[in-house]
Amino acid sequence: MLIEIENLSVTFHAQGRVVRAVQDVSLSVNARESFGLVGESGSGKSTILRAICGLAPISGGSIRINGKPIATPRGKAFSRQVQMVFQDPYASLHPRHTIDRTLSEPLAIHGLPGTDQRISQALTDVGLPTAFRFRYPHQLSGGQRQRVAIARALMLEPEILLLDEPTSALDASVQAETLNLLSRLRAERGLTFLMVSHDLAVIDHMCDRVLVMQHGRAVEELTREALASAQMKTDYARALFAASADRMLQG
Amino acid sequence: MSALILWLRDPNPQSRGQARLGQAYLNWLRLRRNPLAVIGLAIAVALVFIAIFAPLLAPHDPITQELSRRLLPPGTPGNILGTDDFGRDILSRILYGSRITLYIVLLVILTAPVVGLLIGTVAGYFGGWTDTILMRITDIFLAFPKLILALALVAVLGPGMENAVLAIALTSWPPYARVARAETLTVRNADYIAAVKLQGAGAVRVIWGHVMPMCLPSVIIRVTLDMAGVILIAAGLGFLGLGVQPPLPEWGLMISAGRKFLFEQWWVATMPGLAIFIVSLGFNLLGDGLRDVLDPKSASK
Repeated sequence: MLIEIENLSVTFHAQGRVVRAVQDVSLSVNARESFGLVGESGSGKSTILRAICGLAPISGGSIRINGKPIATPRGKAFSRQVQMVFQDPYASLHPRHTIDRTLSEPLAIHGLPGTDQRISQALTDVGLPTAFRFRYPHQLSGGQRQRVAIARALMLEPEILLLDEPTSALDASVQAETLNLLSRLRAERGLTFLMVSHDLAVIDHMCDRVLVMQHGRAVEELTREALASAQMKTDYARALFAASADRMLQG
Repeated sequence: MSALILWLRDPNPQSRGQARLGQAYLNWLRLRRNPLAVIGLAIAVALVFIAIFAPLLAPHDPITQELSRRLLPPGTPGNILGTDDFGRDILSRILYGSRITLYIVLLVILTAPVVGLLIGTVAGYFGGWTDTILMRITDIFLAFPKLILALALVAVLGPGMENAVLAIALTSWPPYARVARAETLTVRNADYIAAVKLQGAGAVRVIWGHVMPMCLPSVIIRVTLDMAGVILIAAGLGFLGLGVQPPLPEWGLMISAGRKFLFEQWWVATMPGLAIFIVSLGFNLLGDGLRDVLDPKSASK
């Protein structure tokens, strides 16, 4: 098992209120597997990704990668192993940095050589012309920005890519392109995906296994076959499936 | 020229420098659309030009006294703006005085906003105790009226131009710290900050390379709008005899000297007053224009 999460709980304390965003969720992801987390807004699926990255406070349970508990603070070794692609490409790229600066930053942090060549290669890998290298994010479309965000996440050649609804901010035609790009990169590089989505059609296209979540708790884990043949055990998973079934059949 | 503009407008720049200059050119085009801002910029540029070439432009020496020609009215041949009570040419003194004004302005620009930016971003980024301590110190400085605090500092340090600059810088950083902290709080939880932290960046790199560029526009706007205030405080200290010392031609000092004959020889105090007015107005207009150009909310679209 590459990623093992056991009884993870995340609790936020804000202005005297206690919000239990994630309660006792366990999951495990094999190397080179693509694992999906699905559920409605506020079900805690993104919070699990943020907890892995150290962006959300873990109040209970454990996270292990390659059998080792992850360090707090996460540190440089962690960042070479795990990277994340954020939901909104309009918010995840620094508005005053060129693409070049955005992509060279991880290399500078880790002191890696060959900046020029790596950046050109990274842009080519995600299907962007190298002429875009010195553009600013506002000179790119949403889909192009998300490609830059994917290229940035891959600069450190991580094994694990956490994907937080990577296509939900994009329009339909660009969504398909971006998903195909991600599938291709996973196949080429042997990446492990942990992907969050509220859209079962996206999960069905991308993932080998999926965990359905509701109100911060795990509801049901399904394999792709079970999903395709609609063999859910719980009502909630069935309702979620019914809501996106028509689009899944088209896909 | 057109080749240069094409190079600046190239949608696919070949280097970081070209990308940056291209953005600067677009900002200039946006600033140019605002005629008042261009007037402000022209006044600021004129101030720099006059300060550099004061010895060439001034018809007389600003310090040499000529008592036979004292208190001549404006329009006198050889003394277009008249002379003061020691027979010195007011135009020459104003032209040389621009050097002192510019010197004070530059020194304050190089110190106060830098200190404010540093304190504000550090307080905003770390939050918690760091924030509380730094911002309470800022509050203490903000609680004193600027001129009173500057007066107290000059009284302790002794009068003089350097001490006046120090006093102004020490009293004018808190607003920049406030602005920088407010901007930092809005970007601190942005995804692009989370992304660079996830890449293993330390606090120094995040603050310096990622948070500060977002705070800079607001601080620059604030600085240009505050320039008028800095010039006025410098003039005020000069007027009270605590800043630049006679016989140096500082504008506030000149107004102070002209106060004695304000009713009979109005020009002695009015001419340097006009100079302060024009330069302050210029910086204010420029600041307003820069706000439209640099405002991150409008520029990010």
